[in-house]
Amino acid sequence: MPQEFAQAFPSQQDEAQEESAVVANAAADEQIDLLDAVLDDIETTLEANAQEYVSSFVQKGGE
Amino acid sequence: MPQLRDSGTHPTGGAGPECAAQSDKAHGFDRIFGIETEYGVSVTGADRPCDAGQVAMTMFRPVVSRARSTNTYLPNGSRLYLDVGSHPEYATAEARDPLDALAQDLAGEAVMRRLALQAQERLRAAYGGRATIHVYKNNADSAGHSFGCHENYLVRRYVPLETIERELLPFLITRQPFTGAGRVTPDGFRVTQRADFLDEAVSSATTRARPMVNTRDEPHADPDSYRRLHVIIGDSNRSQFATAMKLATTHLVLCAIEHAARSGEPSGLEGCALADPNAANRAVSRDLTGGREARLRLADPQAFGMHGGGGAVTPLELQYRYLSVVDAFLDRHGDRVAASMPVGRSRRVRDLWARVLDDLSAGRLDRLADRVDWVAKKRLVDALRARRPDVPLARLEQIDMDYHDVANGTVYETLVRRGAMLRLVDARGVEESLGAPPRDTRAALRGLFVRTAEAAGARYSCDWTHVALTTPVRREAAMIDPFDAEPTPEFAALLDALCRTADGGPAS
Repeated sequence: MPQEFAQAFPSQQDEAQEESAVVANAAADEQIDLLDAVLDDIETTLEANAQEYVSSFVQKGGE
Repeated sequence: MPQLRDSGTHPTGGAGPECAAQSDKAHGFDRIFGIETEYGVSVTGADRPCDAGQVAMTMFRPVVSRARSTNTYLPNGSRLYLDVGSHPEYATAEARDPLDALAQDLAGEAVMRRLALQAQERLRAAYGGRATIHVYKNNADSAGHSFGCHENYLVRRYVPLETIERELLPFLITRQPFTGAGRVTPDGFRVTQRADFLDEAVSSATTRARPMVNTRDEPHADPDSYRRLHVIIGDSNRSQFATAMKLATTHLVLCAIEHAARSGEPSGLEGCALADPNAANRAVSRDLTGGREARLRLADPQAFGMHGGGGAVTPLELQYRYLSVVDAFLDRHGDRVAASMPVGRSRRVRDLWARVLDDLSAGRLDRLADRVDWVAKKRLVDALRARRPDVPLARLEQIDMDYHDVANGTVYETLVRRGAMLRLVDARGVEESLGAPPRDTRAALRGLFVRTAEAAGARYSCDWTHVALTTPVRREAAMIDPFDAEPTPEFAALLDALCRTADGGPAS
């Protein structure tokens, strides 16, 4: 059974806390680290020949 | 103005809502939601050239051999289909709630993934161990072809088609700052996948022109009460938030529009019509602030409440107008609307929508990276460009495409694994939706029929409104009301015939 929206998202209280500057700065640093980690993962796994990868996708039909 | 072929609207003063008044549903805000997704297929790493169309057929071989057709209904009530031009397509079972539709849509991704990985095994035997099948839940390939993710909403028939065009279309165009999936192009990043490919605004034709919205004459329901609104403008989303919210916010707007048509009161959306929807759509797609900058000309600025000042609004200004109309509407009818969405909460939807608009208004795009596909994608593209200033366009296009690969993708999967994307349905919820239909629509009946027929080894066929047995007996049952999960006597007789087959005797 899908979770209700309420369970899936932070409460309004959490969001109010997020607004404080200290938390926001720490969160910003975490965001950058996270982005770096994601890029590291992606760069090591993506197929090397990007042009060939892209050109392989030609799809006929559809609306 | 496009020709509108439509079997007509029952006027509010006439037979429509008065007859429908006998039914609770006509007074309520119950809705049936559906998402139909066309997927794209490619193969990389094969040791010799490989036809993607062939691959798609191979993918569907387990399905074809069971149903003796490339169009089949699954035990969860959804439809799996292979189009002539080699698009695998998945249409979700009827859902009363956006979260159920989301779970069904995610089940569709899982079905495609499983079929692709099974086919990949067979493919590697013939084309080498590096052969890889990609299944793209997106809207554009590398050669300028576009394909769709279509939403279906059952709408009460007394809302004229012209009203939907005038009052809903501007909402669909301006919701894209939070529903857009984003696209890397040689001319720059776009907020939407589809805007550059769309033509006519509203039409009853679909195959050649590419309209944003149309209605189908066959609503798969009582044609006197409902029409099926078919929304073509939407992008295919990976973000669960975007998928659920595009359905849920559109539902709230439709409630306000239906109520106005039913009661004869003005909706408050009459002035939202755009002078040139296609131009507006392209402008929204190019506005990388997410709706703060594009100027969209109104068809009738005075009707919008604008006096002087150029007659144009930003996408966010229009969205806030829709939000304020929905707020006024919820103040008066909130409880009945809440009853229409059994799982998701309408007021929570409203708050989340408002939060997204506020973040967009304030330029806080970072706060949307966990829930808006184009923002998540663009952040990655921008970060990679910063890290590697000489990165070729092809690499960025590859990231764009990989983001949508449900079979062998890494980009979106990495974001999910690292907790960077909001999830509304967990793995268990997806697993449940793979095996079982929503319990509160006729999909429940269809799912049960398919499951029972498969188990009994029977020959059968389905469409959205009928189920039929060929063997062991010739029998069929109709399911006209999409809201109704109760078996009719005919349906019970079908199941009975199947159970007799399975047991070799009378059903116990």
